[in-house]
Amino acid sequence: MNAPAPHHVLRKPLPAEFIDALTTTFGARLSTADAVREHHGRDESPYPPMPPDAVIFVRTTEEISVVVNACMRYRVPLIPFGVGSSLEGHLLAVQGGVSVDLSQMNKVLAVNPEDLTVTVQAGVTRKQLNQEIRDTGFFFPIDPGADATIGGMTATGASGTNAVRYGTMRENVVGMTVVTGEGKVVRTGGRAKKSSAGYDLTRLFVGSEGTLGVITEITLRIYPQPEAVSAASCSFPTVEDAVKTTIATIQMGIPIARCELLDAMTVKAVNARDKLGLPEMPLLLFEFHGSPTGVAEQAKLVEEIAKEHGAAAFEWATRPEDRTRLWEARHNAYFACLQLKPGSRSFTTDVCVPISRLAECIAETIRDTEQSFLPAPILGHVGDGNFHCAILADPSKPEELAEAERLNQLIVARAIAMNGTCTGEHGVGMHKMDFLRDEHGDDALDLMARIKRAFDPLDILNPGKVVRI
Amino acid sequence: MNAPLPSPQVPRLLADRIPLDGTGAVDAVRQREVVAALKIFLPEHCVLWREEDTRPYECDGLTMYRQLPMIVALPETEEQVARIARTCFEMLVPIVPRGAGTGLSGGALPHGQGVLLSLAKFNRILKIDPLACTAVVQPGVRNLAISDAVAHLGLYYAPDPSSQIACTIGGNIAENSGGVHCLKYGLTLHNVLRVRGVTVDGQIIEVGSEAFDSPGLDLLALVVGSEGMLLITTEATVKLLPKPLFQQVVMASFDDVGKGGDAVAAVIAAGIIPGGMEMMDKAATAAVEPFVKAGYDLDAATILLVESDGTLEEVAEEIAQIESVLAAHGATRLETSQSDLERQRFWAGRKAAFPAVGRVSPDYYCMDGTIPRKRVGEVLKAIGVMESKYGLRCANVFHAGDGNLHPLIMFDSNDADSAMRAEQFGFEILELSIAVGGTVTGEHGVGVEKIHQMCQQFDSATLESFFAVKRAFDPVGLLNPGKAIPTLTRCAEYGKMHVKGGQLAFPDLPRF
Repeated sequence: MNAPAPHHVLRKPLPAEFIDALTTTFGARLSTADAVREHHGRDESPYPPMPPDAVIFVRTTEEISVVVNACMRYRVPLIPFGVGSSLEGHLLAVQGGVSVDLSQMNKVLAVNPEDLTVTVQAGVTRKQLNQEIRDTGFFFPIDPGADATIGGMTATGASGTNAVRYGTMRENVVGMTVVTGEGKVVRTGGRAKKSSAGYDLTRLFVGSEGTLGVITEITLRIYPQPEAVSAASCSFPTVEDAVKTTIATIQMGIPIARCELLDAMTVKAVNARDKLGLPEMPLLLFEFHGSPTGVAEQAKLVEEIAKEHGAAAFEWATRPEDRTRLWEARHNAYFACLQLKPGSRSFTTDVCVPISRLAECIAETIRDTEQSFLPAPILGHVGDGNFHCAILADPSKPEELAEAERLNQLIVARAIAMNGTCTGEHGVGMHKMDFLRDEHGDDALDLMARIKRAFDPLDILNPGKVVRI
Repeated sequence: MNAPLPSPQVPRLLADRIPLDGTGAVDAVRQREVVAALKIFLPEHCVLWREEDTRPYECDGLTMYRQLPMIVALPETEEQVARIARTCFEMLVPIVPRGAGTGLSGGALPHGQGVLLSLAKFNRILKIDPLACTAVVQPGVRNLAISDAVAHLGLYYAPDPSSQIACTIGGNIAENSGGVHCLKYGLTLHNVLRVRGVTVDGQIIEVGSEAFDSPGLDLLALVVGSEGMLLITTEATVKLLPKPLFQQVVMASFDDVGKGGDAVAAVIAAGIIPGGMEMMDKAATAAVEPFVKAGYDLDAATILLVESDGTLEEVAEEIAQIESVLAAHGATRLETSQSDLERQRFWAGRKAAFPAVGRVSPDYYCMDGTIPRKRVGEVLKAIGVMESKYGLRCANVFHAGDGNLHPLIMFDSNDADSAMRAEQFGFEILELSIAVGGTVTGEHGVGVEKIHQMCQQFDSATLESFFAVKRAFDPVGLLNPGKAIPTLTRCAEYGKMHVKGGQLAFPDLPRF
């Protein structure tokens, strides 16, 4: 892991004029209180908190422009903040500066069923959005574990359990309003379904992790709520059989909505926590969306494929409450795994490989982890070739930390060697900056740095993340 | 490793020396110099410079614009492409990459002082991975050749521009091409995982990833659709999809174009994403029917073809749903294909629409404006009014589901006045597309054709973001200069002609 530079080295105190100028505009919405700063200086990563020097609660795009202009004038770093649920140290104030909290920009601005789009302010959370559009018959599918803001999900290029059907944020953001590092307001995309005019700035900003601009409004694709939903679980003799079932399902073009793998150790952890009584063998969880007959047909096809790969019969969960119980168990699997080794934290890998290499990649990973003295349960969005290995280590024991880091390096290097990537959905933040060079090479990384400089010449937007300048 | 790109201050001066429009006669002295430099590493047959050899490259599918290139280079290896780029970079020679030359917006229009770099010899499929459902291809591979090569695996490559029999994947990447099925399966960007290419200074880079996602800035999304202005593609990994098990198509007639347009929006709003949803108006069906005998309703003001694909049960259910939505929105006749043969017959007319219109009119001008679906009915009516305003007929054939219009304005190029009116007619359609919240191009690209309308579609902050991207990749401005992204000066000049609501576009720019 890249130890972040001790932050007193890079930090400069905020100029008094800067605070004065912005206090005039924002009044009590600018805070330098310790508790508020502390809250904005940490995320779900294993890094120690690095609080910003001030927090500003903004309400409009124009206000963000005002902040960016002040930051340009006084060379103050600026870090956009949603709810702080990122996993890789995205929003730590490594060089101090101000955290711009967008949680008060929480309105759904427009719902356009004929265009299958919805436009929201960046501070709307994914659960809030689905709550507000529920009566229209549409929904927004992307569901990372946390109830993150749409702005944060856009900035990190988030994904979730149903990406195999609906894609990630990259496929589902069709336009946005952004304040660039030069304080300019850019509106990307449009209402039209497709466009080949100009460079695709929308996708450039998706996943840029606050380093190119502050995203203030987003237009998203929405989908009709499926008429019928059913879920099933199915045990396999080996992880490889489970993965092969997934590959065959996708190859047949069966539009599964979710397909999640839990290895035997994860199933054991989930059983212990949620009392599910599942067989302690590798398990696939499926969900099917569609019309009632379509769903039944999809499920039948998948069950046949699974049987060919030695699976036991499907366990059905057609009642909503059973389904919820099953998926809650999946969503809570992370916490269940932590209880396998009390006192430990999880060093979670996020590798993703072409699906044709997935069975091999997971099998080799299991071989490594079995030889390790640390437990490392595996769970994954196997339909996308993305899996997580939750390496459980006690942060107070240096030998355990070293072993966790050794396993992490091994897993990432293998994924990259298989034409895969070090991160399928968690983003780069600070944690994976060095892997980026292995994966893309010097020239492509230099190009990213040149783009960063072009959009943010003063390096004030979330400095020290994603690419080094 | 090669020397790094020059710092951003230098290029601004250099860029002034590179003429953007690239028109005019070839400079013979310069030509000799560059040919000599290229022949150091390129075999004789890979460098064309005599007029009789370069003439075939003077235009692409947009034949209204023609320009003789100074040199045509036909490299055979990636190493040669990199050395061409490096040589041109050092000698400040513009490069225009070219695939099959089927582009409809002049994206491959040569530069009179530049090298036209044809990737025609990069025509091999390098690898097919049936488990991951991907193929690694060279840029000169034809779009349809990919689907043909994987048909035996039950797979296909989804984007299907009408020119798919001839157009190449490199050109598709440059233009972010679409097609009939992109409504459900996405544009080129959504079907390409990784692009390998040569930068302006001859470095080889890879963008995107064969895995599901790629961390860091999304360079792939910038490269796809960049019209050869950022990277010269030398290899790509494309996604393959399983062929749908079953397909069926509904043909619906409407007695009013507005009603047809509204029905399109209603199908989508009902939560149905058809495999394809295409519309043809009366002028188009009249041109096509005698030619193809597809069985179209010639009394209808417009007909709509809506396809459903999937498993047998899914299709049956979706077709029933589609029929009821169309009926509720005023369809006067509904017919559903009862066999695959009949389905293909329904589509045959749509696919032959362009050549059929070519039969009834000496020339036609194809537009590509794309608008929010909700506005389709109203825009079609406005085009009807424009027909009488300009005294020209216009057949409308288009990807209705995407709101992507392809009005075919019929004119006679031997009659200069009718050609001029056709151009004005086209521009008015594009400007209307922008006014209703759409874009000037859904799938054909900007090229040289629609460069002025870019100034209207995008404000200066957005155009400056485009320049920022371009500068990061190509600080000197050597890759395909003068295409796709207009300079602010160009917009300012164009703004003189288009004063909207008393407001001058880009008022802060100096005029001349």
